[in-house]
Amino acid sequence: MSEDAKNEEFEPNIVAFLCNWCSYAGADLAGTSRMHYLPNIKIIRVMCSGRVNPLFLVNALQQGADGVLISGCHPGDCHYLEGNYYARRRFMLMHKLLEHVGVDPGRVNMSWVSASEGAKFGDVVEEAVTKAKEAGPMDQFRRRRINW
Amino acid sequence: MVDSKKLQDKARETLVRDDVRRLIGWKRGTYGYEAAPAVIKDASDAEALIFDPTCVQNPASFLTLEEKLPVPRGAEPDTRKVAVMVKGCDSRAIVQHLLEKAYGRDDVIVLGIPCRGVIDRRKAQKLFGDVGVAVSAKIDKEKVAVDIGGEVKTVDRKDILMDKCLRCRYPNPLVSDFLLDEEVEKFADDDFADVVEFEKQAPADKWTHWDEQFGKCIRCYSCRNVCPMCYCVECVVTKLRPQWTRRSTDISENTAYHIQRAWHLAGRCIECMECQRVCPVDIPIMTLNRKLTRDVKELFDYEPGVDTEAQPLLASYNPQDPEEYIM
Repeated sequence: MSEDAKNEEFEPNIVAFLCNWCSYAGADLAGTSRMHYLPNIKIIRVMCSGRVNPLFLVNALQQGADGVLISGCHPGDCHYLEGNYYARRRFMLMHKLLEHVGVDPGRVNMSWVSASEGAKFGDVVEEAVTKAKEAGPMDQFRRRRINW
Repeated sequence: MVDSKKLQDKARETLVRDDVRRLIGWKRGTYGYEAAPAVIKDASDAEALIFDPTCVQNPASFLTLEEKLPVPRGAEPDTRKVAVMVKGCDSRAIVQHLLEKAYGRDDVIVLGIPCRGVIDRRKAQKLFGDVGVAVSAKIDKEKVAVDIGGEVKTVDRKDILMDKCLRCRYPNPLVSDFLLDEEVEKFADDDFADVVEFEKQAPADKWTHWDEQFGKCIRCYSCRNVCPMCYCVECVVTKLRPQWTRRSTDISENTAYHIQRAWHLAGRCIECMECQRVCPVDIPIMTLNRKLTRDVKELFDYEPGVDTEAQPLLASYNPQDPEEYIM
């Protein structure tokens, strides 16, 4: 099988952590408005992007995710006033750290999607999937089943 | 160089005070290129204390290690102070502890020692091989004189000093109640050239490097135990519910462990390099920490362990923080 054919078949798994108040509602809007967005995404609803521990990313990548997306309210719009500011700092550093370890930077994505931006949510998902496809399957430090 | 008589006299003077419980410093080890940390309770033992370039350990690590047992009914908790001797780099750990409110400024007496650098055991072993006697050393502006069982060998500073000393920005303690010597002039600077050099590689090459390095890890957790900033009562890597990393030593869990360790020191690491020094399998752990230190400085203009009044980096934010990677 050629390299291109492999990439064509590869469909990445993206784990998305969406904040309850903006991004999850945005994803909901995309759904109720019958907009098409890529099905590679597995959504986990959290109350705020500030609730996402950066170790979630490491854990997701260990357990079979090929990419991660964290999405919250636009800066200044956080339901809890400042949660997304903290998240922005954290994920900036985690992004840099994972890049330093050799994880393709395209695997870690963050975005601001408000409740009215259903179309933007579709674009964000598409971009995350494209980047993860380019990076290929995540096999660097995925947990493997041990055959005793 | 610190006069050892002056140092011991000061230690005695501190230990006889009623409000001092113990003193942490260094004493001569049994063999090898490193001194041993010393915890001294009685003024008569103070003559064991020394300071020279073999005193690499960071005594500030010990301040947070004491177990806080419940006080018996009717008894008063022991609120006496702990005295600690620190070099310039070690004092940053104390500043960061104070900033994080690990203890109060009144709980410690800091005896600061301006320092010109300490010996790297690994470099010394390469130069002179293993030794069966306790080594002492002297340092001046250019040379280090290593005394191995009476035989004095002089080497250039850069051949034997620890990497952290060759890029030391804080040779003088940033916090101290008493200075045991005259302040020394700043003799080096840090341009993070090693981090920049490493970053030039492609992600795949970086991973090849770390795959090999993390693969060596035996998960002894020495790097965590020795770290002055790792003082959580329950550490995330040994926690069972929820279990963040499994205990097996495979590349997946080792990588997760090292990312977690480095991550928990983001904006907190004071670069005493103890983690790398104690690593039994020679993993260049500091590369990860230094990467974060550099980024924290560049992105948020923040330096840990310098100002006791600062806010902890990840417990504060600036609405104008950079967000170039956000879609």
